[in-house]
Amino acid sequence: MKKLNLMKALLASSALIMASESVMAQDFGNFDGVTIEAKLIGGEQYEALYARIADWEALTGATVNIISKKSHFEIDKEIKSDMAAGTTSWCVGSNHSSFAPQYEGLYVDLNGLVPADVIADFVPGNIAASTVNGELLMLPRAQFDVSVLYYLKSNYEDAAQAEAFEAEYGYPLAVPDTWDQVRDQAIFFADPPNFYGTQYAGKDEAIVGRFYEMVVAEGGNYLDEDNRPIFNSDAGQRALQWFVDLYEAGAVPAGTTSYVWDDLGQGFASGTVALNLDWPGWAGFFNDPESSKAAGNVGVAIQPMGSVTRTGWAGHHGFSVTNDCENQDAAVSLVMFLTSEESQLAESAGGSLPTRTAVWEANVAAAREGDDPFRAESLAAFAAGAEYSFAVPAIPEWGESTNLVFPELQAAIVGDKTVEEALNDAAEAVDELMRESGYY
Amino acid sequence: MIRRRLPQWFVLLLPAFIVIAAVVLIPLIFSLYSSFTPYKLTRPSTLWTWVGTSNYEKILTDAKFWTAFGRTILFLTIVLNVELLLGLGIALMMNKITWGQRTLRTILMFPMMFSPILVGFQFKFIFNDNVGLVNNVLQSLGSDSALPWLVDGKLAMFSIMFAEIWMSTSVFAILILAGLFAMPRDPLEAAKVDGCTPWQSFRHITLPFLMPFIFIAMTIRSLDVARAYDIVQIMTGGGPARRTELLWTLMSRTGYVDARMGLANAMGYISIILSILFTIYFFRKLSAARADLGMEG
Repeated sequence: MKKLNLMKALLASSALIMASESVMAQDFGNFDGVTIEAKLIGGEQYEALYARIADWEALTGATVNIISKKSHFEIDKEIKSDMAAGTTSWCVGSNHSSFAPQYEGLYVDLNGLVPADVIADFVPGNIAASTVNGELLMLPRAQFDVSVLYYLKSNYEDAAQAEAFEAEYGYPLAVPDTWDQVRDQAIFFADPPNFYGTQYAGKDEAIVGRFYEMVVAEGGNYLDEDNRPIFNSDAGQRALQWFVDLYEAGAVPAGTTSYVWDDLGQGFASGTVALNLDWPGWAGFFNDPESSKAAGNVGVAIQPMGSVTRTGWAGHHGFSVTNDCENQDAAVSLVMFLTSEESQLAESAGGSLPTRTAVWEANVAAAREGDDPFRAESLAAFAAGAEYSFAVPAIPEWGESTNLVFPELQAAIVGDKTVEEALNDAAEAVDELMRESGYY
Repeated sequence: MIRRRLPQWFVLLLPAFIVIAAVVLIPLIFSLYSSFTPYKLTRPSTLWTWVGTSNYEKILTDAKFWTAFGRTILFLTIVLNVELLLGLGIALMMNKITWGQRTLRTILMFPMMFSPILVGFQFKFIFNDNVGLVNNVLQSLGSDSALPWLVDGKLAMFSIMFAEIWMSTSVFAILILAGLFAMPRDPLEAAKVDGCTPWQSFRHITLPFLMPFIFIAMTIRSLDVARAYDIVQIMTGGGPARRTELLWTLMSRTGYVDARMGLANAMGYISIILSILFTIYFFRKLSAARADLGMEG
C-alpha cells in the first residue's frame, strides 16, 4: 500500500513538474471579489481535484462557493428541479456525457469562450461526446470511463483446473478474449453461493449500457440514424441471451439484477467473483490490500470481443457553465483550471483516466518506466480498451429510454419473458417515446 | 359615503385562508393544471402547452400503471390486516402487564422512530442474497442455496411487506392499547359474573368497543401505506422486471428521473382515488362501529 502511495506521489510530482511550464504560461485571469457558485458531483474519488480549487482562488482572487455536492444521479434530479423552478443562476455544474443532452438551454456553448488551442489539447473523441447539436456543453475532466476485464489470476495458475476446463470445453483455459469464452469460464468457475463466475449491473441505465455494448459487439446497434430502436435485432437477441444464460446457469449472484456499480465493485473486491467487467476507478481499490481480498491476485485485460468486434460503452465527466451565470468569464476560467493539464495529471495520478492527449501519453510513459507492474498493466489495458469506446446517443431521451428498456431486460433475465418478447416490448416502448419526441 | 368594511370573522380568518391557499390550494391547482400538459422539468416551456386529457388517456390504457395500481391495493390489504392482527395481539398482551408497562410501551415505539429510508437499507442488507443476514443464518443451518429474497417476485414483495410491518405495527398496537385503557371495566366484570368465557368476553365486549380505534388506525395507515415509497425504493427500486413496482415508485421515476412531471401528476390524481375510496370505506365502518356502541352523532 505504501509502495503504491509512494508511486502515485512520484507520478503526480513528476507530472506536475512537467506541466508547470504550461500552467505558468496559462493565465486564468483576475476576478477579484467575484464569487462563483458551483454544483459538483461528490464522492471520495472526486475530492482530490476540488482540493485544488483553493489554488485557482489564489491565482484569480475569486471565491468558489460549492452550494451542492451529491452523487451524479442526485445532482441530475436537483438540476432538473432547478430548471423547472428557474433557479439556474449558479455558475458551474458537474456534467456527464450521458446526461448533457438533457439539459436543453441550461449550459453555455464553450466554443466561443474557450480558446481553440485549449480545446485542441483534449482527446477529439471526448470533445465530440461533449458536443450536442454543435455546442460544446462541457470541458472534460480526468474521469474518462471505459470498462475492461478484471480477473483473478489464481484461476489461471491451477494446472488441474486448466485440464478439467479443456476436457469440458475443448480449448485451453486462458484469460478470455471473447464473450463466449467469458460465458464458458464463468459457468465453469461458478460455485454458488460461495463463488461466482462473473456478475453484471442489473438495473437502471447501468444494465442498458452493458447490453448496448454487447449489441454493438454483436454487430447491431441501439438506435438507427433516425433514432428508431433497432436493439431487438438478431444481434440484440444474441446479446441479451448472454445475460440470460449466465443467470440461468447460476454463474452470477441471484441478486445481480439489483446490483449497480458499488455492489459490483465490492463483490469483486470480496474475492468471490472470477471475472468482472468494470470501470477504471476501481483499479486501485481492487489491488489495495486494505480494501480488497483480491489484492495481489488481480489481472487486467482488454475487454473481450463479441462475434463482430470489441466495444466499450464510454462516458466522461466534465464541467459546464450556465447561461444564467453573471460572471461567465470567471466561471469559464474555473472550468479551464479544473480541466487543465496540471489538474488532469493530479487527478489521474489517483487512477482515473484523463481526457487530454498529453496526459494520456505522460501517464502511460510514467507507468512503463515505474516499478508498479499492476498500474502499467491496467493503464495499458485501458489505453487499448479506449480505442473501441463509443458514447451513447446525444439525445435528451437516452436516459428515459433506459428506464423503458431495463425492466424488460430484467424480465428476460429472471425468466418472466423470452428474450424476443422482452426486446420487442422494449423496442415498442422506445419507439413510442421517439415518436412522441418528434424524431419521426 | 359609507365605507364598507369586511366582516370581522372574515378578517380574522384571512391569514389562515392565505396560508392554506399558498401551501395547499395553489400547488394543488397548479399540479392539476400541469396534468393536462406535456410538462417536462427540463423543458419549462412545455408547461404552457395544453394537451387536454391526453395524459389521462395514456394512463388509462397503460398496463404497467394498472399493474402497479393493483399491486399497491394488494400490498395495502395484506400489510393493513397483518399489522392489525399483530397490533391487536401486542396491545392485548401489553394490557395484561402490570409491571414495566411504560418501558415496554416506549420500546414498542422504537421502530416508528427510525427513518423509513434507514429501515429500507437495514432490510436490504438483511435480505441480501449474497451477504445478507437471513441467507447467512439459513446457510449456517445447513442450506446450500442463496435465496433471492429481493429478486423473486413473491419473496421480494414478502421482504418489503416484512419491513413495512416491522416498522409500523406499533401504530396499531399503541392506538388499540389507548382503546383498552379507555374501556370501562363494568361490562367485562358483569360478563365474568354471568359466566362468559374469555373468548366470548373478547368477541362480544372488548372487540366491538375497540372497533372505532381500529378503524381510526386503519384510516391513518391506509393513507400511509398507499403512498409507500421510501422502503420500496431502497430495497428493490420497484424491480426487478417491475415485480415490486408500486404507484409511488412508478410516479417518482416518471416525474423526477424521466422529468415527465405532467404525466406523473396525472398518475397522482388517479391514485388519489385509491386513498379517497379507502378513507370513505373506513370512515363508514367507523361510523357504523360508533353507532353499534350508541356513540353516533
